Amino acid sequence: MPAVQETIDQVAQIDVDQYKYGFETILEMDMAPKGLSEDVIRFISAKKEEPEWMLEWRLDAYRRWLTMEEPDWARVSYPKIDFNDIYYYAAPKGQSGPKTLDDVDPEIRATYEKLGIPLAEQEILAGVQERRVAVDAVFDSVSVVTTFKEELAKAGVIFMSISEAIREHPELVKKYLASVVPVSDNYYSALNCAVFTDGSFVYVPEGVRCPMELSTYFRINAENTGQFERTLIVAEKGAYVSYLEGCTAPQRDENQLHAAVVELVALEDAEIKYSTVQNWYPGDSEGKGGIYNFVTKRGDCRGDRSKISWTQVETGSAITWKYPSCILRGDDSQGEFYSIAVSNGAQQIDSGTKMIHLGKRTKSRIISKGISAGRSQNTYRGRVSAHRKATDARNFTQCDSLLIGDQCGAHTVPYIEANNATAQFEHEATTSKISEDQLFYCMQRGIPEEEAIALIVNGFVKEVIQELPMEFAVEAQKLIGISLEGSVG
Amino acid sequence: MNIQAPIKHTAAEEDLFQLCEAARGAVSGSKDASEQRDAAIEQLRAQGLPTRRIESWHYTDLRAAMKHLSAPTDSRVPAPLLAGSKVLSADTSVAGVTISPWSADKAQFAPVESDDAIGQINTALATCGSIAAVKAGQTVDVPLSIENRGAHARNVVSLGEGASATIVESVCGKDGFSSDVTLISLAEGAKATYVSTCEKGPDAVQLGQLRVVLGKDAELDVVIFNAGGKLIRREVVVLVEGEGSNLDIKGVNLIGGDSHIDVTTVLSHTVPHTVSEQLFRNISTGKGQGVFQGQIKVHQIAQKTDAQMACNTLLLSDDAGFSAKPELEIFADDVICAHGATVAELDEDHLFYLRARGITERTARALLVEAFVDEAIEEIDNEPLVEALETRIGAWLEANG
Repeated sequence: MPAVQETIDQVAQIDVDQYKYGFETILEMDMAPKGLSEDVIRFISAKKEEPEWMLEWRLDAYRRWLTMEEPDWARVSYPKIDFNDIYYYAAPKGQSGPKTLDDVDPEIRATYEKLGIPLAEQEILAGVQERRVAVDAVFDSVSVVTTFKEELAKAGVIFMSISEAIREHPELVKKYLASVVPVSDNYYSALNCAVFTDGSFVYVPEGVRCPMELSTYFRINAENTGQFERTLIVAEKGAYVSYLEGCTAPQRDENQLHAAVVELVALEDAEIKYSTVQNWYPGDSEGKGGIYNFVTKRGDCRGDRSKISWTQVETGSAITWKYPSCILRGDDSQGEFYSIAVSNGAQQIDSGTKMIHLGKRTKSRIISKGISAGRSQNTYRGRVSAHRKATDARNFTQCDSLLIGDQCGAHTVPYIEANNATAQFEHEATTSKISEDQLFYCMQRGIPEEEAIALIVNGFVKEVIQELPMEFAVEAQKLIGISLEGSVG
Repeated sequence: MNIQAPIKHTAAEEDLFQLCEAARGAVSGSKDASEQRDAAIEQLRAQGLPTRRIESWHYTDLRAAMKHLSAPTDSRVPAPLLAGSKVLSADTSVAGVTISPWSADKAQFAPVESDDAIGQINTALATCGSIAAVKAGQTVDVPLSIENRGAHARNVVSLGEGASATIVESVCGKDGFSSDVTLISLAEGAKATYVSTCEKGPDAVQLGQLRVVLGKDAELDVVIFNAGGKLIRREVVVLVEGEGSNLDIKGVNLIGGDSHIDVTTVLSHTVPHTVSEQLFRNISTGKGQGVFQGQIKVHQIAQKTDAQMACNTLLLSDDAGFSAKPELEIFADDVICAHGATVAELDEDHLFYLRARGITERTARALLVEAFVDEAIEEIDNEPLVEALETRIGAWLEANG
């Protein structure tokens, strides 16, 4: 069945030519020499005033990266990246670390205002804005400001840029950095370890429910730069935190690289919600320019009964290569992955998740909706595996794809590996299998099957998307109404 | 993985190259046939056997799994699956079927894709097989049986316009390394049922491939039955190139002992208005490892394609495992494609239901397992075939339950 008109219109509204965030902020920049070498890494480390051990760690990662090969298994194609044609460090002059809001260059403040990101605390405190969200704003290679730090500190929550954390909480950073994504996990994670410039660090102590949403807003501004973000979130026993991430970039003809690593650690009974609205510049409708978004995101449910939930709304980037995953190590731990990926123009998306069941009675749920239009290619690639000791592991996976027009492609590549007889894995495209009970309940009340299915699936996604602050949720909300009519497995 | 120094060959690969040299001299053919064989051998030498780094061999690491290759020691031919079968060999005659003696020139050797290891091995080693053509309009009433009388067989069967036939290919034998490739083409309006059974002993390695080309309004039912063997891989590659054609694949894999059984299907829908359906039921017990990889490709012009794929597996022991990769690759926007894959153990509720009615646990389990497997084949519209398969399934479950 072809896509319904309403859906076509909604997708057209977010077509690549409609990119609203393509403006550039003219600033004087402090750049590292172009290219990648040990000297550039020393330069970055010095700029960040990092301790010696951090520099050594970076250099070690760089040496390992040199021996690795670029992965080629994803269904994306692009010209070979010249890693020596990129600036690995770019910071607005006079900005080497977050200060108070007053010290932030007014141009940068204006940029964030234009993007709709609230940086001013007083306004929010005065109740002008409805929600209170602590923001860490990252501009090219540096974090320019982190809001609500004091209020968070009262609750014991550490929320700061990763560069600050390396200086102020080295013991925590040493303990957890690269403990989820090892340095040489893959080509881009190793590169990130060598040259990462900024990102957020969150530490929620035992039993604390983080009093507000935390968020990071990434902006690539300078030309020819790569942004290498590093985020580390640790939730101690019984802690809870919800974290949001948003990203945009100016419209440029050349491709820019974004290679991030995000690590989440959830200890006993802890819960982490991580939501992304990814809206990097996707290139124009001819496929010129755009961001290469090569990201490694992984959560480790290290403690029993811990829970990690990934939500992503992907509309930007020329090429996306991203698999937010959960390692379900603790007994009774849970992993979730909700994704809406929309590709348009000449975009290429190869995204999905991995749910690695190691502990007993671990549960995971994957709901993925891919929508491709224009001449784009949209691939869901996911792995669900049960280790031999993962007794009573449960997984439910559903991935729906929708094609608009006959020039695009939608692909599904799930890997299902069960090595425990008590594991129960379901990979479903036949939507009637969502939950017979819920479906029956809806249908009994006179809701037609198709609507009931849409209601239930959207319910899953909506539940998490409604947690997003309004500013980030605009794109997401537009997609929520998208009908499942005409979707294929 | 493109630029690399020549690989160091394993013992199994050295054995394979020796077999290649022996096969090269064993059959004569035209220049073209021998060039194809040489090219395949060259590919094998350059690439070696596939490892899990080759995507289509992700769950069957042939290079690591094969230690030594030896020729099968028993050349026993299995009893026909269906009573009254006629063997497709040059010395039998069946009305309306032209059977030719095997020769390298008739084996339709063709260039082989770089990840098609079975194609390469078979092209390099095949020395026997059945060559048959069913005449247009001919309905063949007796089941036709393909007997692979050598370790490496290559069969070519074609059905003319409006022809219909049932073809059964069976392999057995307790050990050794063997391969088979069967090429089937159905012309406009032809109808066929193709059954492949593989009941190998615990030391046998069998690499098999069925390649199908479906013409306009053609209908093909494929039944795959695998039980036993050390390492079995069966590929089904179908090119759906005729509008209105219909493909139905049913499969049963019974995986016990330390068997590794891999079924890989690749369906290419290249024209509008075609239908395909796949249903696999698998049992993995003992230390059995099962694999199902199903790929459905829908080309841009193949609108109104209806492709369904389901793979359900029961794991019955702690050491058993199963991996599935049901893949969709879709370029047309007005299609219905669905895939489902489940892996689970027996449903406790079902078991309880039966036990509450006084049925012993052992019997209850056996009933449920048998019912689960039989569901895959009971809808096949061929009573003797369903009965024959059910008998074999029952015997296997009896021996491995």
